[in-house]
Amino acid sequence: MIFSRTLKCVALLTACVVIVSGCRTPSTDLTDEGLLGFDDIDAVDGGGIPLGARFEDGIPITDVHFENVLFGYDSFVVESSQAAKVEAVADYMRRSPEVRLVVEGHCDERGSRDYNMSLGESRALAVRAYLVGLGVDGGRVQTRSFGEEQPQDSGHTPEAYRLNRRGVFALFR
Amino acid sequence: MRGVRAVLIVVFGLLLIVGAGDAYGAADTTVIKKGAQRYTIEISSLKQVGGASSQLFLRTLEKDLVYSGWFTVVPQGGALKAAGTCQDSAGMLKVQCALQGVTAGRTYFRRTYTGASNRARTLAHELADAIVLAVTGKPGIASTRIVMIGKRSGGKDLYICDADGQNMMQITKDRAVCLSPDWGPDGASLVYTSFRGGYPDVYYVDLSSGRWKRIAGYPGLNTGAEISPNGREMVLTLSKDGNPDLYVINLSNRRLTRLTKTPHAAEASPSWSPKGDKVTFVSDRSGAPQVYVVNKNGGNQKRITFRGTENVSPDWGPDDRIVCSSRRAGRYQLSIVDLVARKESQITSEYVDHESPSWAPDGRHIVYARAEGYQTEVYVLDTMSGPPLRSLRLTTLQGDWYAPAWSPK
Repeated sequence: MIFSRTLKCVALLTACVVIVSGCRTPSTDLTDEGLLGFDDIDAVDGGGIPLGARFEDGIPITDVHFENVLFGYDSFVVESSQAAKVEAVADYMRRSPEVRLVVEGHCDERGSRDYNMSLGESRALAVRAYLVGLGVDGGRVQTRSFGEEQPQDSGHTPEAYRLNRRGVFALFR
Repeated sequence: MRGVRAVLIVVFGLLLIVGAGDAYGAADTTVIKKGAQRYTIEISSLKQVGGASSQLFLRTLEKDLVYSGWFTVVPQGGALKAAGTCQDSAGMLKVQCALQGVTAGRTYFRRTYTGASNRARTLAHELADAIVLAVTGKPGIASTRIVMIGKRSGGKDLYICDADGQNMMQITKDRAVCLSPDWGPDGASLVYTSFRGGYPDVYYVDLSSGRWKRIAGYPGLNTGAEISPNGREMVLTLSKDGNPDLYVINLSNRRLTRLTKTPHAAEASPSWSPKGDKVTFVSDRSGAPQVYVVNKNGGNQKRITFRGTENVSPDWGPDDRIVCSSRRAGRYQLSIVDLVARKESQITSEYVDHESPSWAPDGRHIVYARAEGYQTEVYVLDTMSGPPLRSLRLTTLQGDWYAPAWSPK
C-alpha cells in the first residue's frame, strides 16, 4: 500500500510536470504498452478448467427449472447475490448423478457480436467453475455461448439488458 | 499490485488527454491521406457497336471507375482516355480497349475482353480494375465481393453481394444462428460460425462447388475464424481449455498453437497481418475490450488502442493500418491505427454506431455496419474521399445487414 501511495504521488507529479510543460505530443507511441504491464494478470477466477468431450445426444429435462444467474455489464463475475442460484444447481447435480448440464452464456445487445460471444462463454465458464468448486464433476458440465444472439427480452431497456446478461441451466439426462 | 496498475493506467490516460490537443484536435474526423489524386478519364471513345450488353458494359465501367474513388469520368478532355470498340453480336460481347494517357502521351495497355453477353458486368469490372491498377499501381475493387450476415424473417444467414451491392445471394440456409463470416485468401471460400450443430462451431464453404465442412468443433466456443494469407493456418477463439483464448490451427496437421493465456479475460475477433506473421485481436484484460497485436507464435503482445472507452472488431488492412470500432461519447466510431506512422485517427463522427469494419484490398475503402435506431445496414466508406468522407449505403433489401467482410480479391 505504501509503495502504491508513493507511486501515486510520483504519478501525479509526473502528470503535473507534463501539463505545466504544455508538452510535445506524448506518445500514443505503440511501444509504450509496457506501462500497462499486463503480463502479471492475477489468476483469480473462472477458467482454466478444461472442458470435457461434448454430449449432444442427451434428453432435455423439462420439469426441473433453475433461475438464471444474472451478470453485471461487461462482467462475468458470479456476484454473491447470485451464488445461491448456482448452489441450488450444485445440490441438484450431486443428488442426481445421471444428469448432465449445459450452462448457456448470454449477453445484452451492447458491444460487438464477436466480443459478446467470448463474453457469453466467459460467463458460462464462470458458472461452471463455481459448480466445480462446489464439488460437481466438470465432465458433467458443458458450456455454450450464444453471445447476444438469443435475448430473453427483445427490448432495448436497462431492464431488458439486465435480464439478458445471464447464465441459463439446460439439463439433460 | 492491482492498485499500482490502476495508477499507471490513470497516469497514462492523463498523458493521452494532454497529448490529444496536439496530435488530433479538430482534425479528428477528417482525412487519412490529404489530397488524394483524382484522375479525369473519358470513356466516350469506347464506341458501342450495337447490343444491349455493350450498353450495360459501358454503364458498369463508368460506375466502377467513379466508385474506385480514383477517377472523374468526363465527356471529353480527360487526362486519360479509354478508346476502342464494344460489340455485342450473337450473344457474345467483345470489347477492345486501349488505355491512353493523353497528357503523358503514352499507352498504358491494349486489351480485349470477350465473354457471353450476360457477363457484361463481370467484364466491365475486369476492365475497370485493370485501369485502376495501370494508373495507380493499386488493386481495384470492382471485381471483389462482400460477405455479410442478413437477418430476414428470423434467420441469420450468410449473404454475398458484389462490391457495388448488386447480385445479393443467400449462401447458407442453416436454420440456426450464423455469425462472423470471413473470406479465405483465395476469395473463393468462406469461414463462418454457425449453431447448425447445436454449438458454435466453425464451418468452411467452398463457393465454387458449394461444399461445406465443419473445421473446428472443440468443446465450448469455436468462433471468429480467419484463414492466414498463405492459406495454411487459421486463427480463432476457442474455450476448450477453460477460457476464451486465441489459437492458431495448422490446417494440414491440425496442430494447435495457443496465442493467449489470460485466465480472467476474454479474447475475440482475431485478424491476420498482411504478411501473416502477426494477429490483431480484442481482449478485455485491461478491464474493457481493447485492441492488441501478438506474434503468430504468441510472443510480443502489445496493446495498440488507448482512446475510446472500448475498441473492438479490428481488421488489419493491406497497408499495415488497423481499422476498428471505437466507442467515443457513447457511440461506436471508426478509428484507424497506423502501425507505420504510429498514430491513430478517428474517421467518422456521425452520432450512430459504426460496427465491424473490414478493409477492401485497395487499402482505401472500408465496409462496415451502420446501426441507427436498432436497424442495421451495410455501408462503404472511401477513406480518401474527404473531407468529409463519403459513405455509400450498400444494402437495400428488407432486413438487418451486418458483420460485412470484404473479399481479398
